[in-house]
Amino acid sequence: MTRRWESLRFASAISGLSHASRRIVSLFVAALREVFDESAYSRYLQRNSLTPSRRSYAEFLGENEQAKARRPRCC
Amino acid sequence: MPNILKKLIWLTVVVFGVLAVATIALHRGEQINAMWLVVAAFCCYALGYRFYSAFISAKVLALDPNRATPAERLDNGRDFVPTNKWVVFGHHFAAIAGPGPLVGPVLAAQFGYLPGTLWILAGSVLGGCVQDFVILLFSVRRDGKSMTEMARDEIGRVGGFVAYVAVISIIVILLCACALIVVNALKSSPWGVFTIAMTIPIAVLMGLYIRRLRPGRVLESSILGFVLVLIAIWGGQWVSQTPSVAAWFTYSATTLALVIIIYGFAASALPVWLLLAPRDYLSTFVKLGTIGMLALGIVVARPTLHMPALTRFIDGTGPVFAGTIFPFAFITIACGAISGFHSLISSGTTPKLIRREHETRMVGYGAMMAESLVAIMATIAACVLQPGTYFAINSPAGVVGQSPEAAAATISNWGFFVTAADMHSLAQLVGEQTLFNRTGGAPVFAVGMANIFSHSLGGQAVMAIWYHFAIMFEALFILTVLDAGTRVGRFMIQDALGHIWKPLGRTSWYPSILGTSALIVAAWGFFLWQGVKDPLGGINSLWPLFGISNQLLAIVALCVATTIIIKMGKTRYVAVTLLPLVWLVAVTFTASWQKIFSDDPRLGFLSHARQLEISGSGTDLARRIFNDRLDAAVAGLLVILVAVILAESLREWTRVLSGRKEAHVKEAPFVATRFATEEQA
Repeated sequence: MTRRWESLRFASAISGLSHASRRIVSLFVAALREVFDESAYSRYLQRNSLTPSRRSYAEFLGENEQAKARRPRCC
Repeated sequence: MPNILKKLIWLTVVVFGVLAVATIALHRGEQINAMWLVVAAFCCYALGYRFYSAFISAKVLALDPNRATPAERLDNGRDFVPTNKWVVFGHHFAAIAGPGPLVGPVLAAQFGYLPGTLWILAGSVLGGCVQDFVILLFSVRRDGKSMTEMARDEIGRVGGFVAYVAVISIIVILLCACALIVVNALKSSPWGVFTIAMTIPIAVLMGLYIRRLRPGRVLESSILGFVLVLIAIWGGQWVSQTPSVAAWFTYSATTLALVIIIYGFAASALPVWLLLAPRDYLSTFVKLGTIGMLALGIVVARPTLHMPALTRFIDGTGPVFAGTIFPFAFITIACGAISGFHSLISSGTTPKLIRREHETRMVGYGAMMAESLVAIMATIAACVLQPGTYFAINSPAGVVGQSPEAAAATISNWGFFVTAADMHSLAQLVGEQTLFNRTGGAPVFAVGMANIFSHSLGGQAVMAIWYHFAIMFEALFILTVLDAGTRVGRFMIQDALGHIWKPLGRTSWYPSILGTSALIVAAWGFFLWQGVKDPLGGINSLWPLFGISNQLLAIVALCVATTIIIKMGKTRYVAVTLLPLVWLVAVTFTASWQKIFSDDPRLGFLSHARQLEISGSGTDLARRIFNDRLDAAVAGLLVILVAVILAESLREWTRVLSGRKEAHVKEAPFVATRFATEEQA
């Protein structure tokens, strides 16, 4: 009984750990996507019901050019 | 967790923190391990975040978890987007982290490791983090308004004008100081020039890849760009070892300055997607990776600091830059402790992404702590070098002498032993012709970083690769600031000129683009040229001016924050922003005064001009005298701006506190957040 209980606890700990690491990785990737404007492009596609293409990306760049160029980079 | 356990954990952090700070502060005459600085930093940040920022959140700002942020209320999927706090944290950190926290601490290491470390820790926990946090929160409560708009709303039109002038001056001075650092790092370095030159076609290739081949795949193209940059670093070694090819990439400081001025103009006038955006992505990618690697390298190598806690140069006679520990240590290290420039980021994109009001604490206060840690790492990188080596690299020829032997003798006479042969061996080890007189901070940082990396991975055999990786990393960082800063400056000038004649304000009208680009490039290019020609190294004049203008912006931000706190009826807590403000005013006024009026010709612009008038010679004497007077005028203008913003703020505070003006804060009206109920459900 004790051994079974321990193996259950071990399995639950492993599952918790894997869930936590998956969450960390997904958050990290999400942060990178936001920093690199990939999320902004996805939102643009969603907002305008478009599919990824050269044309839609060029339009996205056109829309964001001013904002991107005006964004200061800190010292 | 049981309460008693929590208390025990925090007590342990306090004990470790006190022990580490005491070790750093009290050790004299014996070397200490760099890990003491890391432990002290982590303990200070942990305590500052857990207790001080919690106090500010609860008592001063009264963060309201039920109040909707502009990201929620104005969500348009474009500028305003409710975003996960960790994602915003990464975004904010990537925007605030620049070359400043790397260069400033390296220059300030001439005083020893102690002054810089203490200022970075105290300045960030009590000043910089607080500034970033409160400005972010106040911007969130005002629909993401910018700092200049908040200054105009809360202090008055004069406040807005001063903020505008401060931003323009900081951009111009920052750009010329940054460009000078690149010039000093790359002069007579074919390997460095080749690597950096290659980043331009790599960025253009990335731009074409993102736009034409794989639209929108920025991360993918950044990884590709990074691999190409590594190949360029490797190829640079072959270039430097092949004399016929090396000659194409070996330039003097003046030629490099001209190339950078032309590059700045081109980067400002070219389409954003072609050069600016991909370089920005590549730089961010390299920046985040390298900072992580450096932190890991320090922990793995656990290097010993060879620089003493305090050097003889605290009296103001230092070769790297002139001036006593107060105020110049606090001017030199701006970005790692408190940086006015951050207030522009905290009131720019970040407030429009914050999902819940209480997350401003983690993003604003927390990201600045991370930036401060970068400054601590830069201090470590500079202080692991033998002091003689540090001063040989970082001292201008005008101070230590032209020949390697003369420079080594001067530095050894100061008590920091170094020989010309040692420096020659080190230069060969890192693949350079010479390391003498490489002022500006970047080469010292690169040698220190290469030292740490080579101890962790690869040994001395790969020292040259690591050195040029570090140079590439810094130059990439700086050139990104140069690209973006020139363009931001151009837009600001266009906005202002648009009020005079409308077509000049049109950002798509090419004559206006070319004219305003030329104007902003000419402004920083002039100071860059002056810095390159300055026999004292240029950075001696430019970096303090940059520090003063950056702290001026911090003064504007803290004046805005203090005014809002008073208007919120929280005057009893006003010390939270008032104390850093008073400190910065003291530092900025003293530094500006000394830079203008000091009798020491190495420090005071006017006394240097007088000395040149009496005993100077050379064909460019009149130009050098004019430059000194111009620098004095710029420093004077900055002091006047500080005085004006302070007077305006004091007037506003007096009117509110005496009841002559209603204490009215211009916040967006309260709207309940739906996220709170969603989370409860």
